Amino acid sequence: MSVEASTSMSADITTRVEVARRESGMPTPLVGMLLFIASEVMFFGGLFAAYFNARAAFVGEWGPPAPAPELEILPLALPLTVILLTSSLTMQLGVWAIRRGNQGAMRFWTAITLLLGISFVAGQLYDYTTLGFGISDGVFGTVFYTLTGFHGAHVFGGTVGLTILLARAIQGQFSARNHVAVEAISIYWHFVDVVWIALFTTLYFLR
Amino acid sequence: MATTTLEPRAETYRSSWVIDWLTTVDHKKIGVLYIVNSFLFFFAAGILALVIRSELAVPGLQFLDERTYNQAFTMHGTIMIFLFIVPVLSGFANYVVPLQLGAPDMAFPRINALSFWLLPLGGLLIFSGYLFGGAAAEGWTGYAPLSGGTYAAGVGTDLWLIGLTLVGTASILGAVNIIATVFKMRAPGMTLMRMPIFCWTVLVTAVLILLATPVLTAGLIALFIDRNYGGSFFDPTTGGQPILWQHIFWFFGHPEVYIVILPAMGVVSEILPVFSRKPLFGYRAFVFATIAIGLLSFSVWAHHMFTTGVVFLPFFAFMTALIAVPTGVKMFNWMATLWRGSISLTTPMLFALGFVTMFLIGGITGVMLSAPAVDFHLQDTYFVVGHLHYVFFGGSVFGVFAATYFWFPKITGRRLNERLGKVHFWIHFIGFNLAFFPMHPLGITGMPRRVSDYSPDAGWTLWNMASTAGAFMIAISVLPFLINVIATFINGERVGDDPWEANTLEWATSSPPPPYNFDKLPPIRSERPVFDLRHKHDVEHLSAEERP
Amino acid sequence: MRPSAAPSRLQTRLLAVAALLLTTLVAGCGMLPPDPKTEAAKAVWDLYLIVFIMGAIVFVGVEGFIVYAILRYRRRDDHLPDQLHGNNLVEMIWTAIPTVIVLVLFVLSSIALGAVEARSDNPSVTIEVDGFQWQWEFRYLDGDADPGNDVLVTGSPADPPVMALPINEPVRLVLRSRDVIHAFYVPNFLIKRDVMPISGEQPPNEMELNVTEVGTYGGQCAEFCGDLHARMTFSVEAMTRADYDAWLAAAPRGGSPPPPSVAPGATVLDLTADMIEFDTHQLTAPADEAFTMRFMNEEDVIHNVAIFRGEERIFTGDGVTGPDATIDYVIPPLPPGEYTFQCDYHPVPDMTGTLTVE
Repeated sequence: MSVEASTSMSADITTRVEVARRESGMPTPLVGMLLFIASEVMFFGGLFAAYFNARAAFVGEWGPPAPAPELEILPLALPLTVILLTSSLTMQLGVWAIRRGNQGAMRFWTAITLLLGISFVAGQLYDYTTLGFGISDGVFGTVFYTLTGFHGAHVFGGTVGLTILLARAIQGQFSARNHVAVEAISIYWHFVDVVWIALFTTLYFLR
Repeated sequence: MATTTLEPRAETYRSSWVIDWLTTVDHKKIGVLYIVNSFLFFFAAGILALVIRSELAVPGLQFLDERTYNQAFTMHGTIMIFLFIVPVLSGFANYVVPLQLGAPDMAFPRINALSFWLLPLGGLLIFSGYLFGGAAAEGWTGYAPLSGGTYAAGVGTDLWLIGLTLVGTASILGAVNIIATVFKMRAPGMTLMRMPIFCWTVLVTAVLILLATPVLTAGLIALFIDRNYGGSFFDPTTGGQPILWQHIFWFFGHPEVYIVILPAMGVVSEILPVFSRKPLFGYRAFVFATIAIGLLSFSVWAHHMFTTGVVFLPFFAFMTALIAVPTGVKMFNWMATLWRGSISLTTPMLFALGFVTMFLIGGITGVMLSAPAVDFHLQDTYFVVGHLHYVFFGGSVFGVFAATYFWFPKITGRRLNERLGKVHFWIHFIGFNLAFFPMHPLGITGMPRRVSDYSPDAGWTLWNMASTAGAFMIAISVLPFLINVIATFINGERVGDDPWEANTLEWATSSPPPPYNFDKLPPIRSERPVFDLRHKHDVEHLSAEERP
Repeated sequence: MRPSAAPSRLQTRLLAVAALLLTTLVAGCGMLPPDPKTEAAKAVWDLYLIVFIMGAIVFVGVEGFIVYAILRYRRRDDHLPDQLHGNNLVEMIWTAIPTVIVLVLFVLSSIALGAVEARSDNPSVTIEVDGFQWQWEFRYLDGDADPGNDVLVTGSPADPPVMALPINEPVRLVLRSRDVIHAFYVPNFLIKRDVMPISGEQPPNEMELNVTEVGTYGGQCAEFCGDLHARMTFSVEAMTRADYDAWLAAAPRGGSPPPPSVAPGATVLDLTADMIEFDTHQLTAPADEAFTMRFMNEEDVIHNVAIFRGEERIFTGDGVTGPDATIDYVIPPLPPGEYTFQCDYHPVPDMTGTLTVE
């Protein structure tokens, strides 16, 4: 509903509520996504608390149990981080594109983001096969696989969202004024990236 | 009255009544579904309570073996907290909050429906343990290592974990909905400080759910991993930390008890002003006290762990003592609302006054427990069981019945019978005190909790018998309530928009409201728009800012 | 309002009598804790009394106010009462006063906590308290590194252990669990402490008791620990130092007796225990002939085998703790019939069976 339409109608309170809801402040679906992300922050918070508690109480050398090798950022962890960070950039390029009304560019960047996201999940799964320890191999194994596993699951969920976005974009459902789903998924995607940065730093640098 | 009702009422055509209720996204129908589902679980968990009390009435194992008894109290606690008290208050919030805000529905109606339907699913999963070798039996707090794979073998505990994860997810989605609705869908003129106090308490509750429940989810998943995938989160034999479970659980568990009490406090804060014919005294302070309780609730969790020997006692003792202050402020606000009012003792008012008087006792025993040295004696005894039932039951359940009697006319268009309501109240009130007051001396003289039996030489028998008598009295009190509800549905007295002469916007539309809630809203210039409308000619009773 | 008058002597005496009656009523009603029997418990008892009185005053004041208000301000007409929204001064006062009260309470509580948590440099007796599903074992440390000569008191649900200790001396308890979390609770000492399974390098919980009066004080586990939580009882027997020394000298020392050898030509029944369960619940033995039961305990939990005919106890085997510990029980000749065998420490269905003698 445009501004011109509202002034031509009677100053009826119901219509004013309608217009007010649509035009003031953050769009409601975006509010919902931010709140959902707040709950996810607390979920990962609980898992991180378990990690740090386990590490503080651990007797011995903290890390993958012998004979598995130490965690290394190459050849996989660092490239995966670059992939995920890049995907955040491409996601944001897509958001900027649709804010300008450029549907084609938005489709392109969303597809790239989706590809990068899938690569991350595949790469993470491959990494698991090279590590040499499992979830049942002591405390480190448990917290490592739980943290990275749930993060990977959240990335996977994000790729499902991106797929839906791409499908809707191909059908031409988004415009400069009507693309709140893109904004919401992009925020979710950035959140998933931030969690990875925290994870990567904790597991591979803080140790 | 305040609105015009369209005649005939505009309703969307539906193929069948059953499909309508199964697929509805209308917050009012979803609210009713929540309430009815919750009461069913209330009765189930109540029967478990009668089983427990029957076994404990006299020393010696009467008719249960120890394992079955342990399942009974585990299921009783789990169902009462997660499938009755939180959802029933969610149900009232679902029904009432959009109406009180002057909104046509919740922010996310379809997620609202999902939130509801996860509940019977989760509850059935939790109960299904009985069909698969035994329900969970480690207490509603499920401490590790007892709840780990070694000592709690069998799928009952796993079903408990999965069921609770679903119920928790439902809660979190509901919280997102509430917060978005409050911030995005208030009617014009309704600033935050003119929002009904019930909406404020529900808002803070939703924030607590949003931030605390995910931590429980993390813990439930971690325990599931320990039990089923060889994890070492909590297993001391492989380097895990049993105490970590307690930290994670109670970091959620303490905000949880405020999640349970705040909406009930909101209900009471709506009812007392209506039946004292005065505004809530100190609305602004009440809002700040609610926010303060919400914030402080995250800093006290380890007072459930004083006897573990590994918590920093001074900090948690201090914060726990401190949280008594905003709670006390609320008590004074309620008392001042009654003072020099014009009080009608209708059934909702009786239950609201019951809340205030009984919650006070629970609050006092809570302050007693906040001193670690005293807690060392009373922790894990029946004193704590008495305390928690005075706040959960004397507080929240009284609040739930107050809400039921208060909003029943709005939801159904018919008023519940006052005489039966009073019979319900008095049997309930006496039974409640008879059931739970004796638990204090039991605990003070050393009876531990979660015991299937006790020594006949300990001097505990009489108190236990009294408590069992009280429990059965509570059960009996349900009868006048059920009779009332059924009879009222069949042939109860019909009411108009505002049978109680109340204050907030839900009373500015028909009973029950049309699907879209309002045809027309009154001007909103205070937290009591319907009161203002009713008294717009009595200008002298309004403060300067409220005069139209 | 009536103007207040100075209380007369009669009024004061009546008030004193009322207070006394109330205290008696309250104590009789069980609202006061048991008589404190340790030094620290006295501090706790005093703190409890203060907190209780504060609570009672608040209770009477608030409930009284509410009852009065309901009666005094019942609706009598349609007159709308004064629509008072608030009063800043009053609200500030009733926020400040409770804050001061809880701060005072916190200070008093900290002082009492200091008394409870005090540790002496040299406890005269140190006892290792081991909790396990579902009983206790007390090991009296004598300072040498040899556990074989320590006094060991092991309990069973049928026969809970007694912890002897001297009065008026600091006694240190070291609390450890062999499985799940338990708690050591003696109501007369107004204290409990969790008994945790040790993980890594975490030190076990400790408690210090200085019992002030000779007597027997019951206790039980106060942290839900599974099926037989309610039967995990024990008692503490506080005695004079002289009596304690005599008890200590006469008490049996640690270690289990060597297993009796198998009688030649006799039947050997095999029974294994693991995960708090027997591997079979049906055994058969010849009548009127001694036979051997070779009992293997595969886990680090104490078990035994006892044999009953109906309610009558026929045979009690010594307890044995695994892993991989075997003991031979020589059962005397039994007349034909149906008997029950059970573990005394875990008399649950999983550790109960039928012995058919024919």
